[in-house]
Amino acid sequence: MTRYVMTIDLRRCVGCQTCTAACKNANATPPGVQWRRVLDLETGEFPDVRRSFLPMACMHCAEPPCADVCPTQATQKRGDGLVSIDYDVCIGCANCVMACPYEARSIVHEAHFAYGDTPIASEAIRFDPARLSVATKCSFCKERIDAAAGKGLVPGRDPEVTPACVNSCISGAMAFGDIDDPDSTVSRLLATTQHFRMHEDLGTGPSVHYIWDHA
Amino acid sequence: MKPNRNVLPGQPGPRLQQHWDWRAAANFICGGSGGGLVFFAALAGLAGVDVRAQMAAGLALAAAGLLCVWLEIGRPWRALNVFRHLRTSWMTREAAVALLLFGSGTLAVASSHPAAQALAGLCGLAFVYSQARILTADKGIPAWRHARCAPLMLLTGVAEGAGLIAATLPGELHAVAGMVIALAVLARLLLWRRYLDGLRESAAPVASLRALAAIERRFAVFGSIVPASLALLATAGALVGIAGTAIVLAVAGVLATAAGGLCKYTLIRRAAFTQGIALAHHPVRGGRRPAPPAAPGLSKA
Amino acid sequence: MSADTSRTERKVPSYCYNCVAGPDFMTVKVVDDVATEIEPNFAAADIHPARGRVCVKAHGLVQKTYNPHRILQPMKRTNPKKGRNEDPGFVPISWDEALDTIATRLAAVREKGLIDESGLPRVAASFGHGGTPAMYMGTFPAFLAAWGPIDFSFGSGQGVKCVHSEHLYGEFWHRAFTVAADTPHCRYVISIGSNVDASGGPCAVSRHADARVRGYKRVQVEPHLSITGACASEWVPIRPKTDPAFMFALIHVLVCEHGIGQLDLPFLRDRTSSPYLVGPDGLYLRDPDSARPLVWDAATGRALPFDTPGVEPALEGRFRVTAAVTVDADDARHPLADVEGVPAYTMLVEHMHKYTPEWAEGICDVPAATIRRIAGEYLANACIGEAIEIDGAAMPLRPVAVTLGKSVNNGWGAFECCWARTVLATLVGALEVPGGTLGTTVRLNRPHDDRHLSVTAGEDGFMAQKFNPTDKENWVAQPTGRNAHRTLVPIVGNSAWSQALGPTQLAWMFQREVPRDFNMPKPTLPDIWFIYRSNPAISFWDTPTLVETIATFPFTVSFAYTVDETNFFADLLLPEATDLESLQMIKVGGTKFVEQFWTARGVVLRQPAVEPQGEARDFTWISTELARRTGLLEPYNKAINRGAGGVSPRAGEGYDFSLDPTRTHDVDTIWDAICRAASTDLSQGQETHDLAWFKEHGFYTVPMPQRSWYLTPTLAEKGLRYELPYQERLLRIGRELGNRLHEHDMHWWDTQLSEYTALPEWHDVPGRWEQALVRSGARAEDFPFWLLATKSMQYHTGGNVSIALMREVAQNVRGHAGVIMNANTAKGLGIADGDRVEIRSHIGATYGKAVLAHGIRPDTLVIPGQFDHWATPVAKDFGMPSLNTVAPMSLELTDATGSGADIVRVAIRRLEGSIVQ
Repeated sequence: MTRYVMTIDLRRCVGCQTCTAACKNANATPPGVQWRRVLDLETGEFPDVRRSFLPMACMHCAEPPCADVCPTQATQKRGDGLVSIDYDVCIGCANCVMACPYEARSIVHEAHFAYGDTPIASEAIRFDPARLSVATKCSFCKERIDAAAGKGLVPGRDPEVTPACVNSCISGAMAFGDIDDPDSTVSRLLATTQHFRMHEDLGTGPSVHYIWDHA
Repeated sequence: MKPNRNVLPGQPGPRLQQHWDWRAAANFICGGSGGGLVFFAALAGLAGVDVRAQMAAGLALAAAGLLCVWLEIGRPWRALNVFRHLRTSWMTREAAVALLLFGSGTLAVASSHPAAQALAGLCGLAFVYSQARILTADKGIPAWRHARCAPLMLLTGVAEGAGLIAATLPGELHAVAGMVIALAVLARLLLWRRYLDGLRESAAPVASLRALAAIERRFAVFGSIVPASLALLATAGALVGIAGTAIVLAVAGVLATAAGGLCKYTLIRRAAFTQGIALAHHPVRGGRRPAPPAAPGLSKA
Repeated sequence: MSADTSRTERKVPSYCYNCVAGPDFMTVKVVDDVATEIEPNFAAADIHPARGRVCVKAHGLVQKTYNPHRILQPMKRTNPKKGRNEDPGFVPISWDEALDTIATRLAAVREKGLIDESGLPRVAASFGHGGTPAMYMGTFPAFLAAWGPIDFSFGSGQGVKCVHSEHLYGEFWHRAFTVAADTPHCRYVISIGSNVDASGGPCAVSRHADARVRGYKRVQVEPHLSITGACASEWVPIRPKTDPAFMFALIHVLVCEHGIGQLDLPFLRDRTSSPYLVGPDGLYLRDPDSARPLVWDAATGRALPFDTPGVEPALEGRFRVTAAVTVDADDARHPLADVEGVPAYTMLVEHMHKYTPEWAEGICDVPAATIRRIAGEYLANACIGEAIEIDGAAMPLRPVAVTLGKSVNNGWGAFECCWARTVLATLVGALEVPGGTLGTTVRLNRPHDDRHLSVTAGEDGFMAQKFNPTDKENWVAQPTGRNAHRTLVPIVGNSAWSQALGPTQLAWMFQREVPRDFNMPKPTLPDIWFIYRSNPAISFWDTPTLVETIATFPFTVSFAYTVDETNFFADLLLPEATDLESLQMIKVGGTKFVEQFWTARGVVLRQPAVEPQGEARDFTWISTELARRTGLLEPYNKAINRGAGGVSPRAGEGYDFSLDPTRTHDVDTIWDAICRAASTDLSQGQETHDLAWFKEHGFYTVPMPQRSWYLTPTLAEKGLRYELPYQERLLRIGRELGNRLHEHDMHWWDTQLSEYTALPEWHDVPGRWEQALVRSGARAEDFPFWLLATKSMQYHTGGNVSIALMREVAQNVRGHAGVIMNANTAKGLGIADGDRVEIRSHIGATYGKAVLAHGIRPDTLVIPGQFDHWATPVAKDFGMPSLNTVAPMSLELTDATGSGADIVRVAIRRLEGSIVQ
């Protein structure tokens, strides 16, 4: 079996939003829609203050509440662990938005572009009306992963078939791969570090693991 | 076209959901009241009362709610896709139950056949139940997913149904109707309090608790104690044969229903704060001691 | 995305060098001839410290290309009146008209003479951030070289926005125009205001991330918990501008409490001036015959010249020297007999005695115990005595460093900080050795590519320095540029970079007013001013006043991306092909700014991934046309052949790809020759690659030994010493400069002369700002907060404010909505998060939203980046405040290097209702 997961080493992340920007370019998301973003989080009171950076996106849960509530089955859990959305089936009811504890989903109803109502060339060439009024979210760059087998490449190892955010990360905070493969980068990282998954108590089984210290 | 919602995160704490507006709230308000009304209409029908009008009104309410939802969804012309996920989706189940409800309800209105009425009544209750379960399945909203949310939603539908039908019933049923209203709103008040206690215990977003607390007094006094008192007054009046109990029941019923609406509107539109984030461990950056976990915006359990 | 198989898709290798933290590799994804994405260039993963990745800014380049607000054809001003309220009336013109207009103007200048009646160049040019515009201006440097004297002194923030004093003193002490920790080997870093995780680029970010995971400790000392502070192990919230006191206390703990027994004695003895004997007049005691500094030889018990074979210099003690001479300013020699000589190290110890952690606590608001602990940790982690193998050779390992950030290492107090940092390194032998404090490039010395070659023997056993003369005969009494850098700042030298590193705010200030006893020719306006990738009307200080000066410039030519606050006053706007549209080759690797030190060196090509939009033209084409139309084609081509501003000379040993200087060459021909020359030169004749090869492969590198990161072995080989801790030379030069100025009855630079000291004293650095406030007629208590600026990775360099994507993603980073202030302070002032506020200094006000946080001192406000735009599309709608609007340009607040700091006293209040600016 294959189950793709992402590891994010919070010790490395500097909150630079390079992944946010890379994702926006790679997936041509409209202004205001961020399939992934890095939160800038402060806790404590002066002078005992902690500031941390927390990349957030779809967690591609093992038990995705979004898929459970979806009345159309547009949201599906795939065999390889990815949670996908069929834009041609989704009715845009937003129930999945309410179900997701990670605020990973967006719905926009009107076409907006970086500089107003008219798309610039890079937006026009990739504008997809099928994405209007339906739920969208991080897909783990599904098209790349789906192309891996045909190209004989391995997601997480070969950049061409690895999510754009992971490729872009300048601090090397992110890794991607098959957790069922004990030799994958993610498996090795998880074996040698302490990590957590967000809102694990909700029983969602997220596929994004946050590393916070060595083992 | 529908306006875009602001989907950009501002702060990492819980944020008010922006995707379900008054139309979604209307579905829960009308659907709950309608389902409850159909349920009590069926009971009254089985007791021999002519409830065609009430039954029809209940169906109309439920239909109005669904119409609101249809107006809200992004792709209304694909609405029939809603039936594709009976296995786990309570929204699909709501839609399926709605089909049964309208089928049996129409039959009941047309025929007044007890079987049709009974089926419609059950469907009305099931419809309310489905709506309640839609909320509890939404794990992203702590105020909804709480285990005590669904019973409250179900019971408020019942209270609203009882409230709406009471004054329309024949005089001989007013005593019972008053009792039912009083019991329903008081039980609802109890569940409401238990629900709020439960939210606090489960470290729900502070903002959710604040939004619910804002209506607590109105809900308790004008939505529960006053209608319960009026309903009991009507019961007493009916028992001793004083005229005008219908008006008192009507006032009690309207208050009970309005309180249900207020409760649901608040829940859907004002208290629906997201889970927010939880940083279970601060990263250890070099030689620093780790800080305690952080989950901004959540109340302390 | 919908997969459309009929589309053509290609990936074009290129580079990003939008800020000094670059260059970094990238590829441009092009779909049906439209650029859609920026991706890393993983082909460079093994040679690039950040594994072929670029930072967030580069991902904005797609939108930069297609931004509808771009200037896409040459425009000329039709409204002769210039002012912020005057519509420039820009109208489109042809390239021919634009270029002929410039050529005619330039010809007129040549006819009058390149230098005007005040001795100043008639042509001026201002380029933005840290020399990076040169990485995008093709062969324009060759045109400038062909032209002759040009005034680069109208700064766009140089000196006040860069790490200015570090540039000058760093290069003086250890050939360190930029200073960095050897992060790959470091174990303990005291980072004082250095925001390297925001401004260090991918190389620094990835290296520090590796170091964190490895377990290094970084102590962040700064008033506001920056990005870098967030990622540090510990935050020390120091009071603004008191960093010298903190560092003096660290030195105190090391030399007065731990003592020399725990320090790196051999390093101090052999590689520094620590043993040089200082006489009672504060000057080195010198050998009466050779004038070489004396040391006390412990073996023979007498004073000997420092370079006497077999000498065993003492560092501690006081010694009687029978005969010596001291050499003061203007070569004044003082013979001395039976005089007490004190080793410079002992002078240091005695000097630092008063700077205890308890003393510093009262100044810095940092507990003495914390200072003492940090000093102890620094010493413990220095691993004195340990070694590491680098490139097969054993080298000392001293994995501790002190790094300094903007506003710490510029303006008053910066000299003290730079000195203290470098002294801290020498005390534990951690200067220019593995793990320690490194310089990464030179700009005032040559060659820029190899700082080791700039190490030659100078006087007194130190490196030779290229100071501007201060002796009576050679002092440049009449400035050659409008900031008088050669006249006022000896240490800045006179290299191609020196002028822009002089006191650039003086160039602006003197246009409005000169000191009463200025006694030099009144600075004139340049006849022609070129600006490129530079917006001083936003990026300098007192910007409302600055734009009034800019409006007086008679003829301004802007290579313009969009209309902005500076080119709003231009006479011509020229659209140049931007990052993804143009052709250029630059050098990569070796050791460059910030943490760009690699184990490879070579060249990388930027190439047109897509056709230029509109009428935008490649900068090389523009430069060639200007050269042709001004009759400078031959010197221009010759300058290209020399490698001016380019990569390497077109001809070298065994190869000659020179361009025919008499002909006009097209863009590809010019860069093809450069490609061939560069690859041949790098491979030492083994490989020659043409432009087509580079367009396909992107870059070419050869290995570079890691040992070249470290300067100390080079000094050791040449028997030289670092000029630390005692600053006899600076003391003498300062006295000479004072003599020259006073001979000309000039006293307006006297305050700056106080910086020339042998061992720096604490002076009330923050007090200078408060005193300046009072002297300007304001009351100090009316402005109770320190306002600081902090760097934003998303906007660092500022040239991308009109890119919508940057605005969107930057909003995820705290502070990008306004001014950051302490939440408790705000509560006391009735200010809530998101409230509109006015931040007012004694010269004006700036407006924005309050961003409340706990990671900031209660007495401090911080604004990220530099904003307050009023002309630049997109940015003018931000509603962001800016420090630059309210920070004054002030001679009083200018230090001896000509630098100032991004800090100003302000008041803040909540605004009721809407803002009226």
